[in-house]
Amino acid sequence: MARSVWKGPFVDGYLLKKAEAVRASGRSDIIRTWSRRSTVLPQFVGITFGVYNGHKFIPVLVTENMIGHKFGEFSPTRTFYGHTADKRSKRG
Amino acid sequence: MAKQAINMVDQRICVGVITGAHGVQGFVRVKSFTATPEDVAAYGTLSDETGTRTFGLTLTGAAKGVLLGRIDDVTDRNAAEALRGVEMWVDRSELPNADDDEFYHADLIGLTAVRKDGSAFGTVRALHDFGAGEMIEFDLAEGGNVLLPFTHDVVPDVDIAAGQIVVNPPNAVDATREKSSEGDGE
Repeated sequence: MARSVWKGPFVDGYLLKKAEAVRASGRSDIIRTWSRRSTVLPQFVGITFGVYNGHKFIPVLVTENMIGHKFGEFSPTRTFYGHTADKRSKRG
Repeated sequence: MAKQAINMVDQRICVGVITGAHGVQGFVRVKSFTATPEDVAAYGTLSDETGTRTFGLTLTGAAKGVLLGRIDDVTDRNAAEALRGVEMWVDRSELPNADDDEFYHADLIGLTAVRKDGSAFGTVRALHDFGAGEMIEFDLAEGGNVLLPFTHDVVPDVDIAAGQIVVNPPNAVDATREKSSEGDGE
């Protein structure tokens, strides 16, 4: 069942506070969090979070497309590394 | 630990493996390791792991998650069966040039990483993209490993020829609940 609209998106309060503090500082710190259940809010865009997957912190650079999703969606707990024969990565 | 699909010494890359025979006319089943499966036959001459035997592979179709193809001079099932398990490798130089600021994983994995001040940071272990941007994983010089965003800020310099990349690791701050104050929403 979907969450009631009147409640607004859920986000852990301490995460919101820390994000505001980092944004105010102007530094590009990674905010390490265990709160996989928190919703990505518009004010998080541009901030990098380290989202714990039970093993390590996965860096998540928040973009506009992620708004409304949960942090845990971007930090898989099971990983298939696959093959890297001709895979390429573009530096952001 | 999984077998390495990149031979750093010879600069060769494993692009696929023959998993068995298909039919009685010498067709083989091929498991592709390339980003686009059909590209397994697109990078020129294929050879086995030792580099002593070369193959001409012509893809003919796909079935149940594998590609079907024909190897030159293989015309019956027995010959095709004999190729089961044979890996197909290509020279790194056969891959097309990457775009600006784009890097083959094969080029980056194993590079030495140093901090801006020249101190050792570790080696590149892998690159990932879980949907939140490219990230690069390092085996740290002091032990353990760490994932960092693959961005200009964090990785300002990549020098493949020198076998070295420069890393500017960002600070990490923990977002944790203060014990005496707010609840956690439950």
